[in-house]
Amino acid sequence: MKIVIDGKVCEAERGEYLLTVARREGIRIPTLCHNDALPGLASCRLCIVEVVEKGWHKVVTSCVYPVSAEIEVFTASEKILRMRKTLIMLLAARAPENETIGKLMQEYGLEKPDRFKKENSSDCILCGLCASACEKIGAGAISTVHRGVTKKIATPFDDPAADCIGCAACASICPTGAIKVQDKSGTRQIWNKAFELLICPDCGKPVVTREQAEYLRKQMQGNPIEYSGDGTVRCERCKKAAAADRFRTAFL
Amino acid sequence: MTLSSGMQHRSPDRVAVTGRILEGYPKEQRYTLAMLQDIQKEFQFIPRESMELIADHLELPLGKIYSLATFYKALSLQPKGKHVIKICDGTACHIRSSQMLANELYTLLKIRPGETTGDGQFSVELVNCLGACAIAPVVVIDETFYGKVTPAKLQEIIAQYGDAPEQSERSGGVAHD
Ligand code: SF4
Ligand code: FES
Ligand code: FES
Repeated sequence: MKIVIDGKVCEAERGEYLLTVARREGIRIPTLCHNDALPGLASCRLCIVEVVEKGWHKVVTSCVYPVSAEIEVFTASEKILRMRKTLIMLLAARAPENETIGKLMQEYGLEKPDRFKKENSSDCILCGLCASACEKIGAGAISTVHRGVTKKIATPFDDPAADCIGCAACASICPTGAIKVQDKSGTRQIWNKAFELLICPDCGKPVVTREQAEYLRKQMQGNPIEYSGDGTVRCERCKKAAAADRFRTAFL
Repeated sequence: MTLSSGMQHRSPDRVAVTGRILEGYPKEQRYTLAMLQDIQKEFQFIPRESMELIADHLELPLGKIYSLATFYKALSLQPKGKHVIKICDGTACHIRSSQMLANELYTLLKIRPGETTGDGQFSVELVNCLGACAIAPVVVIDETFYGKVTPAKLQEIIAQYGDAPEQSERSGGVAHD
């Protein structure tokens, strides 16, 4: 079906998310909590757009709005810009020192509010992407804890996460870089827990944590991680190089 | 009796009682909240070992249970007192000076909302409208409603539940950080 986004006629499948269509057409809608692999959170509200259907206007979150009719969409109408600015200011109230939020404020010409205290500031905007990534992976080591003003993302009892395998997927998916992960001298530190990093025997680069390798081995029969005889794992690069070597010796 | 928060040793009693509660439910995630409610009723709080047992029982990560247990106001991670005093702070009760009742209670028991007396007799909570605005301000102790409560009346009511401890030690505090 055909929809019009910011004056541009776009082809869309029925049921496709509006954000997906816009992105395919190169129309930028700001998002924080959206990840193609984990759609459906819709917690940051930044991706709001104005939809006009049969003369009716409504504001929807484009990341979870399925296209079902021939609509017209405005991603930056006056109303949307006004609302989006408010949303950014609310996010800024929570994470005033955060770089990503800072950039958004700059983009929208917003001044940093001075009435919010730095002491209670955090980088986390509580979107929940990290927890759903962790759950999707199957570890479920972190979750949202408490609610209201005390809500936070944490491990049970703030203990070193028992279920954590140290994959750091949460840290890499976080839109604001709020989760601290430190890789230093063969050890990864995340969620109050230290993990041994397995080193590639060929190039010496850290590859994955031991727990992560074990987990992958258990999850997938066709083990995607190549163990050498001594229990070490190769990094992607050296694995390819080794495969190329084998290929060369076999055929050339 | 010490009402320490945080890490508790696994008590065989709690394990057994929790086990019995869990047996009453099918192994399905949708019963998690019901299990937690039963456990709260049994122990006046949700012990850590109970959460761990639910997680094992339902084959869910502990974080899921912890998330639920910290979300609902009706569930508490801190041991509550034998008698739970709820002071209504809904709009009607608020304008009829519920705050004075909270202050009076502090004078009587030396506990603020969210806290428990050192002897484990009383806990006090501020709650939202209890649906009895006509008799505001309202105080509920365990299951009993008291209407049009004044500080003087509150003192009499509390006396019925045993002597107010002299200089009781405080414990607990708000269950959040
Ligand atoms: S840590 Fe990052 S991903 Fe997790 S809830 Fe906070 S902002 Fe979202
Ligand atoms: S990206 Fe749509 S609500 Fe966050
Ligand atoms: S406000 Fe207290 S009962 Fe309604």
